[in-house]
Amino acid sequence: MAKKIRAVVTLQLPAGKATPAPPVGTVLGPHGINLVEFTKTYNEKTADKVGQVIPAQVTVFEDRSFTFVLRTPPAADLLRKAAGLEKGASTPKRESVGRVTRDQIREIANIKMADLNAGDPDAAARQIEGTARSMGIEVIG
Amino acid sequence: MAEEDGTSAEGTWLELAVTADLEAVEAVSEILSRVASGGVSVEPAFELLHEGLDARVDPARPAIVRGYLPGRDRLAARRAVAAAREGLGHLQAFGLRPIGELQTRVVHESDWASAWKRHFPVLRVGRRVVIRPTWRRHRRQRGEVVLALDPGMAFGTGLHPTTRLCLAGIERWADDGRLTAESRVLDVGCGSGILAIAAGLFGAGHILGLDPDPIAVEATAANAKRNGLAARLHVRRGSLPSREAPVDFVLANLIASLVVDLAAGFAREMRPGGRLLASGIFVDREADVRRAFKTAGLTPSGRWVEGEWVALEATARSEGSPLQSSGGR
Repeated sequence: MAKKIRAVVTLQLPAGKATPAPPVGTVLGPHGINLVEFTKTYNEKTADKVGQVIPAQVTVFEDRSFTFVLRTPPAADLLRKAAGLEKGASTPKRESVGRVTRDQIREIANIKMADLNAGDPDAAARQIEGTARSMGIEVIG
Repeated sequence: MAEEDGTSAEGTWLELAVTADLEAVEAVSEILSRVASGGVSVEPAFELLHEGLDARVDPARPAIVRGYLPGRDRLAARRAVAAAREGLGHLQAFGLRPIGELQTRVVHESDWASAWKRHFPVLRVGRRVVIRPTWRRHRRQRGEVVLALDPGMAFGTGLHPTTRLCLAGIERWADDGRLTAESRVLDVGCGSGILAIAAGLFGAGHILGLDPDPIAVEATAANAKRNGLAARLHVRRGSLPSREAPVDFVLANLIASLVVDLAAGFAREMRPGGRLLASGIFVDREADVRRAFKTAGLTPSGRWVEGEWVALEATARSEGSPLQSSGGR
């Protein structure tokens, strides 16, 4: 089918538990796509990952049909897991809540490489490191 | 601030939006997700490729990251905005490229599950085809062919020119008396099933839809049932060859490159004198498609245009007719 693209948007949603409420409704609704069908399909595809945040990259076509692919979990989730944390620091400039090694940063950068739009692995690692530090996670090694 | 912009009202949401360099998107998403429990969205700038059939994120332009807070608790919303602003303020200190200011706006509660439906009116195509979204009412007028369709993920809602060109073509076949209860129709890349269903409603007796996408197969089967065509319209996952008996009509609302690749395959599916309706052809690819038709022994017999899109009808050689110059099948 001649699927001419109208918009591309990524939604970071709770796996298995998405609803048509914001951000789904506010972001996808104006494109006129069937929100119930989106959330139903997303929840089916992510049912085995409940508890994680799984991004869906949605492509909306000109006739308001759509498709989506699941992406790698957000860097923040992978960093929390690597550091053994529940959440980030509320005052990251003053407070350190955990640590990750440079090897872990590189590992996360590798996992996320395809989704980061980074030019090279070093640029991807810099993004992950910046995210870690903004969460109050110290980078060591 | 929350008071001014109305977030104290029940049934409103406060949208937090930040324009961010792609390098900072992960960090900004994390900061917004601390306060927006339902999740965040990232809208990257993208450039269209291959005449709009593909898209690539443009790394040189920023993305917009959004999160939403329920507006019912004014104090909590105010605190959340302050926390997000503080987190964003620290980002530059962590070596990430600059980002825009945090913007807020109030979004009023809506029936999220059904608001999208207003984009799908009852649609008239050609002279007689009416596409009726399943939740809308329509009083059938004499001579109208009404398709009940539930728009979903599968392509083919009737809103795109390529689909409309095909529907009009099917209507012409019916008007010419070509579509009968004996007609065999093959819909290649059936999507929502809209074309196969139109052929069925115009009287075709035996219809097969093929699509490599299981979502499309499911959508076609559901829409066929909805239109009372389950007995005459069959659908399965796959592409050519169909391994079925030759058909009178092939419908192919695809893209030009696929039409070119499949031209010989279409010809093999058609009985002598059978007709192909190929759509989804961007106007500047028409010559390529015509060349492929010639090679496959298909003779152009009709051309229709809407905007930048072309639909071509081609007829398979009748038995005993001379071979085309460049070989054919």
